[in-house]
Amino acid sequence: MNIIVCVKNVPFTQEVDLVLDASKQDVKKDNLVYVINEWDNYAIEEAIRIKEETGGHVTAVTLGKEADEEVLRRCLAMGADEAIRVERGDLNPDASMIAAILSAVVKTIPHDIILTGVQSDDLNNGITGSLIAERLGLVHAAVVNSLKISEGKAQISIELEGGQDEMSQVTLPALFAIQTGINEPRYVSIMGIRKASKKEIKVIDASGLGLPGEDLQPSLIMEEMFMPPETEGAEMLQGDAGSLADQIIRIIREKGVSL
Amino acid sequence: MPIARIHFWGIDSKYLFYILVGISVAVFLLGVYSRVSVWLAAVNREKVIVSREGILNLLMDGLFGRRIFKGDLIAGLMHFFIMWGFIGLFLGTVLSTTDYWIIHFLSGDVYLIYSFCLEILGLMFIAGLLTALIRRYIARVSRLDNQAQDLWILVLLFFCVLTGFMVEGVRLAVNMPEGESVSFGGVIFSSLPSSKEQAEAVYPIIWWVHSLASLFLVAWFPFSKLFHVLAGPVNIYMASQPEAVVSRDEESPEGPGFLFRDMINFSACTRCGRCNEVCPSASAMEPFSPREFIAQANEYTRLRYNPLSRIKWFREKLIKSVSALPEISPEQIWYCTTCRACLEVCPIYIGAFEPIRRVRTSEIEEGSRVPNLLTKSLETLYMFDNPWERSKKKRGEWFGDLAVPDLTAGAKADLCYFVGCTTSFDTRAQGLARSFVKIMTHAGVSFGTLGQKETCCGDIARRVGEEGLFEEQVKKTMGLLKTYGIADLVASSPHCFNLFRNEYPLYQSPGATPLRVRHYTQVLEELMERGLIKPVKRMDLRVTYHDPCYLGRYNNIYQAPRRLIRSIPGVSLVEMAHYGPDSLCCGGGGGRLWQELEDEKKLSEVRIREAADTGADIVITTCPYCLIMLEDAVKTADLEGRLRVMDLNELIAESLGLGEEGEESTIG
Ligand code: SF4
Ligand code: SF4
Repeated sequence: MNIIVCVKNVPFTQEVDLVLDASKQDVKKDNLVYVINEWDNYAIEEAIRIKEETGGHVTAVTLGKEADEEVLRRCLAMGADEAIRVERGDLNPDASMIAAILSAVVKTIPHDIILTGVQSDDLNNGITGSLIAERLGLVHAAVVNSLKISEGKAQISIELEGGQDEMSQVTLPALFAIQTGINEPRYVSIMGIRKASKKEIKVIDASGLGLPGEDLQPSLIMEEMFMPPETEGAEMLQGDAGSLADQIIRIIREKGVSL
Repeated sequence: MPIARIHFWGIDSKYLFYILVGISVAVFLLGVYSRVSVWLAAVNREKVIVSREGILNLLMDGLFGRRIFKGDLIAGLMHFFIMWGFIGLFLGTVLSTTDYWIIHFLSGDVYLIYSFCLEILGLMFIAGLLTALIRRYIARVSRLDNQAQDLWILVLLFFCVLTGFMVEGVRLAVNMPEGESVSFGGVIFSSLPSSKEQAEAVYPIIWWVHSLASLFLVAWFPFSKLFHVLAGPVNIYMASQPEAVVSRDEESPEGPGFLFRDMINFSACTRCGRCNEVCPSASAMEPFSPREFIAQANEYTRLRYNPLSRIKWFREKLIKSVSALPEISPEQIWYCTTCRACLEVCPIYIGAFEPIRRVRTSEIEEGSRVPNLLTKSLETLYMFDNPWERSKKKRGEWFGDLAVPDLTAGAKADLCYFVGCTTSFDTRAQGLARSFVKIMTHAGVSFGTLGQKETCCGDIARRVGEEGLFEEQVKKTMGLLKTYGIADLVASSPHCFNLFRNEYPLYQSPGATPLRVRHYTQVLEELMERGLIKPVKRMDLRVTYHDPCYLGRYNNIYQAPRRLIRSIPGVSLVEMAHYGPDSLCCGGGGGRLWQELEDEKKLSEVRIREAADTGADIVITTCPYCLIMLEDAVKTADLEGRLRVMDLNELIAESLGLGEEGEESTIG
């Protein structure tokens, strides 16, 4: 079983006051801490678990700069066998470019299963997985919250709206975009990462993949990024518990909820 | 013929006896070898140094059983009698053998004294054994769990002394030399046989039964809990050896890397259950018990590192005796709060928390069974340099309107106040820092903090066994202290204090100037002694004091906080059921604050109820963890309005008239 997992190093933005940079195209990132994209963490864990159960070979792939190799070392520490970084050079890729580049790389490696996260924490497009599958002509499913492999087939469960799950069977090879909560990702110790940093990371240049020029053009043009406008101040309710409850009910009614 | 020790009276097959002695001694030696080889399989066998404290402990605890008497007089006497009965009778046998083979001296008065002593020792032994039997099987002391060997060993020992007296008695029945009446034990049995002939006939039988039972005991000795007779003293001595550095690196083998003294610990435990009694987790009925952990670790190491376990028969027998393959079940290890209470009471100084940390490390390295929330806390610590998921910029937020000199921004001061993560970020614990700063400013002490540059000392990483992360934090923190030339440190938290004082030096290069480290209670006491702070405001309060584990048991600071409390006019101090070295953990240490475990109990509620039982208005503590744990327990145990939790700084600040605005009216 050959499994490829696409992972991404993303800035950790909770608890941080984001500031826009001068170009108004992005936030200032120099003071941000980078981590593995949360969804990808579940995806790599899932891949390692499949490998532990059925045997196989796990390759982690990322598109990024040298500093992003941290995310690959983490994957290696978790148990991935191989790691590839695609050097992005000066490109500032959007989801469709990422998909084009990653699929060009993945195509050259034998694979039965490709895993991605449902979305990434930074831009939240949620389409990279599906785009890769389209380009490779693979069967795919997104928001997968359970995955069982047996005899060349995958039993999967997909999270639908309203807490419903859809169960299906998919013939491999296939691509799955993994939802958080599918497993409990293991802890990666500092010692583990140190150990993994002795392993080789293969580097491929994105510009050397022979992709046609239009694939390396963004399909989405960012015009401006801005902070959400500040809304009016909050209304502080006063009074004892009884009157507070009355006021809350009044507000809910005013907002159109029928009680 | 003058009266003398009689050897092999009427026994013909002396040589058979010596062959059997040879066999039993050989089995004994093999057993000792197999157990010691488990000790030697430890990673990092540290050098054992001569320590006066070790020798002293060996005398007091080894020879007199000091710790066994503590809190349980009967157990102390029982053990004392059994131990000295055993040693005495053993020496008696050695003397007798010497008398027979080497130099004959047991005759006349010497013999009579010898014989009389043995009688006394035998009686002591019997008294001890009977007490043990009664405690276990009639009084049913709750901390003892009676396992098969507990019974068999007592019965066998009892049988050996009893038959010993019978051998003597039957001999005296045949021939009672003048003066032999000193052998009063034997004399009692001498009336047992009805005639001289009968006595002569049964004598060899009893003699052989006694000899075989005794030889069996010798052979079984190292395989049973009697091995504590040998391992216990070693353990007692080793306990005062300096802390060992376990340097684990990428090449370290998988599995818990137990140390030399861990292995000795495991082999020496007698299952007396004292640790379970004081363990906050075990006594709250959480699914953990230090005794069981030690037992599991014993079986685990015994099977893996024992040369005999290469023999299939032996291995299978061992497996059967623990009913399954000996493994150390990984779920249990996260319950330990590392409170050190078990070490305080164990008669042979076993502290379960140390080997538990070794297992935690191997679980951390393995990764997949680490409790969820802990995974998150450690990742946060790595990313943010604090476990509270706050950005570095927010480290100084607690300053508010206080002027706090920042040593990393050019301020000069002799003393560096290491605030610590919890005190910096937790809104409740921030009160500790604010009060301390006010007191220091009031006393005119030149001090400063590391501002936003302050790091996490790494306590959580250390306690949960994340050694790699701990080393990172040590490096970072030592680098920071060096950059700003800091040589004198005062910490808010007993946890930071303990690390700086006891564990950082292990990572310092030899020859480096050691850091002077104090906990804030020590600094406050000094200020008071120098007359720089004088609590003047009278506060008619009844308070009780909760000893934090890392200040008390880890660092022996019990009196400073109490003296400070007593110095406040009007304040009376009452103690809880557990205080000082017997203090009960709040449940926040050892990484417990940073995880949620299945079936976990609110240990802090047990403690807060003890505090409430004293009738105190306020419970004072000197640790930010205790502060937030107990504060929370006041709410969940429904004690709000009856009991308040305060940090000592807050109380002192109040008494100096420096209290937080608006809060003043709530006290006194
Ligand atoms: S560890 Fe110590 S206190 Fe606990 S059962 Fe063993 S000997 Fe007793
Ligand atoms: S250190 Fe405390 S919590 Fe841990 S085993 Fe010992 S008594 Fe129990």
